[in-house]
Amino acid sequence: MKIVVAYKWAPNPQDADVRPDGTVDLSRAKAAVSEYDPVAFELARRLADATAGEVIGLSVGAASIDTPLARKAALSRGLDRLVLVADDALADADGTRLAAVLAAAVRAIGDVDVVLAGDSSIDVAAGQVPLTLAGELGWLGLASVSRVEAADGGLVVERDLPGGTTVLAVAGPVVLAATADAVVPKVAGMKDILAAAKKPTEVLALDGLDVPAPGATLTTLSTAKPGGGDRQATVIDGADPAAAAAQLVGALRQAGAL
Amino acid sequence: MNTTQSWIVVADDAAATGLVGAARTLGTEVVAVVAGRREVADALATAADRVLWLGEPGEAPVEAFAPAVAALVAQAAPRAVVGATTPSGRALLGAVGAALQAPVLSGIGTVELSGDQVVVTRSVLGGVSEHRTGVEGTAVLAVDAGAAVSGTPAAAVEEVAGEALAGARVTEVRPRERAGVNLGAARTVVAVGRGLKAREDVALLTELAGAFGGELACSRPLAEGVDWLPKERYIGISGQHIAPELYVAVGISGQLQHMVGVREAGVIVAVNSDKNAPVFSQCDYGVVGDLYQVVPALTAALKGGA
Ligand SMILES: Cc1cc2nc3c(=O)[nH]c(=O)nc-3n(C[C@H](O)[C@H](O)[C@H](O)COP(=O)(O)OP(=O)(O)OC[C@H]3O[C@@H](n4cnc5c(N)ncnc54)[C@H](O)[C@@H]3O)c2cc1C
Ligand SMILES: Nc1ncnc2c1ncn2[C@@H]1O[C@H](COP(=O)(O)O)[C@@H](O)[C@H]1O
Repeated sequence: MKIVVAYKWAPNPQDADVRPDGTVDLSRAKAAVSEYDPVAFELARRLADATAGEVIGLSVGAASIDTPLARKAALSRGLDRLVLVADDALADADGTRLAAVLAAAVRAIGDVDVVLAGDSSIDVAAGQVPLTLAGELGWLGLASVSRVEAADGGLVVERDLPGGTTVLAVAGPVVLAATADAVVPKVAGMKDILAAAKKPTEVLALDGLDVPAPGATLTTLSTAKPGGGDRQATVIDGADPAAAAAQLVGALRQAGAL
Repeated sequence: MNTTQSWIVVADDAAATGLVGAARTLGTEVVAVVAGRREVADALATAADRVLWLGEPGEAPVEAFAPAVAALVAQAAPRAVVGATTPSGRALLGAVGAALQAPVLSGIGTVELSGDQVVVTRSVLGGVSEHRTGVEGTAVLAVDAGAAVSGTPAAAVEEVAGEALAGARVTEVRPRERAGVNLGAARTVVAVGRGLKAREDVALLTELAGAFGGELACSRPLAEGVDWLPKERYIGISGQHIAPELYVAVGISGQLQHMVGVREAGVIVAVNSDKNAPVFSQCDYGVVGDLYQVVPALTAALKGGA
């Protein structure tokens, strides 16, 4: 099977500086492979090994997603090769635009059977891009995938849905977004990191891809820093647990919280 | 664009008060497209002005109808399309977003019409900032589904042709017992995180929650990494958003993705052994100590005072 893993190279907003007017400075936040995407890498590798298949990593975004460190981080996670679309025209792209570019790249790669993705990205965290990608490709898109196995030329897919566990038999191309705990990803070792250096990376030019024009545009009218985040903690030393408990209960009573 | 209509896309789930509410604000006529069982279409007929139903899904997963739903929406070109943030709701919205090449907006707070333009507030970048955003073109919105719609049918259900994508079959459904908790209604919520060392120690926290007269919740790793508590009980950006009067975070480091779920809480208490844990800058009272000593002491103090 030819398997594509869509992963995001993204900063953790935990490390962002948020100004009082709500504008965000991400320059101190280091980018990395988005927290839950290693689950997708692991599922892809296992599926490829079971079917004598190939795993191709795919990421699209600003030029900064293509650095030696970023390439190595992806290639050391069980990929056979990597495909990137790295262009500053995508710096502030919305999810549908990213999905449209991903779809164009999947078509350029050709003959792809399965796209695997993470549950949600660390920065946007909407769990939307893989499903919009499915829409762009005209493929079936399934989120909350907790297990995937090859069977009878197709796939058996298990999903963890609000109503319970659902099992599907899937033939034909599909986009699958994994749950955060579908598998425990293998941690890349020294051998994987050394091997990564020898694996090929192909950079596709955005201009060369067939990406439809946007049909709607967003305008940011204003930004604000959400309230409730900054609180002034009264710190209580818990070294004497009974005293600390009494002090806390007293304070909560006083504050009317009990 | 048809500026009188707003559409809702429904993925086999009658929980749609959130969808209908947003759509009513944005259009004078609310049209529902229902992928899924007839009973869901019938339920929507109590809340929408028109209901288009794609027929019984049989063995096809509801996601297989996403292209058919998107084709109907694209043809109508309404001012707004609203769907649920659930896994299948997002699949329908993804197909709609692709068909219109329009962004799917999430983290929605409020929706309004400003003249002819849809304007929403939304929380972005994991909740660190709040944006007021105007949409030029059809606005595609993912919102919290809300509760089940019900009442007397106001619209007739129109069955429309719509092919499901071939090739996928649901072969088994193992229903899960829903925990049936309503964290949103609890006055006090006590949550525990990875500071807990063993599954059997959950009992310590159950006792503390009981002493507070509150509900027990957790961080995501306890529900999704190790499965010590049900998924309905985890708080955060991908879990529950709650606003209790009192929130007690025990052995939780205070990562952004967790804390955004309790930003609106009245009073926040943290118990953590690491005095540098980020949670201490996001709480009102912070006890620096070992939860295995502090929690039993706190339970005793609460019971003693009762
Ligand atoms: C896209 C995305 C979405 C996410 N969504 C969510 C979400 O909705 N909800 C959520 O919770 N997380 C979410 N996360 C995960 C989140 O980033 C954190 O990883 C998670 O919240 C950490 O959980 P924790 O605080 O329990 O564990 P840790 O961060 O490991 O913290 C454990 C804490 O326990 C303390 N501790 C250890 N021993 C003791 C002791 N004996 N006594 C007292 N304290 C002790 C430690 O000092 C530490 O601070 C998401 C992540 C991503 C990338
Ligand atoms: N720019 C991107 N390039 C490749 N994959 C992406 C990109 N953005 C999101 N994804 C994938 O889609 C998942 C969900 O992202 P999101 O919709 O942003 O929450 C991520 O975990 C990735 O697997």
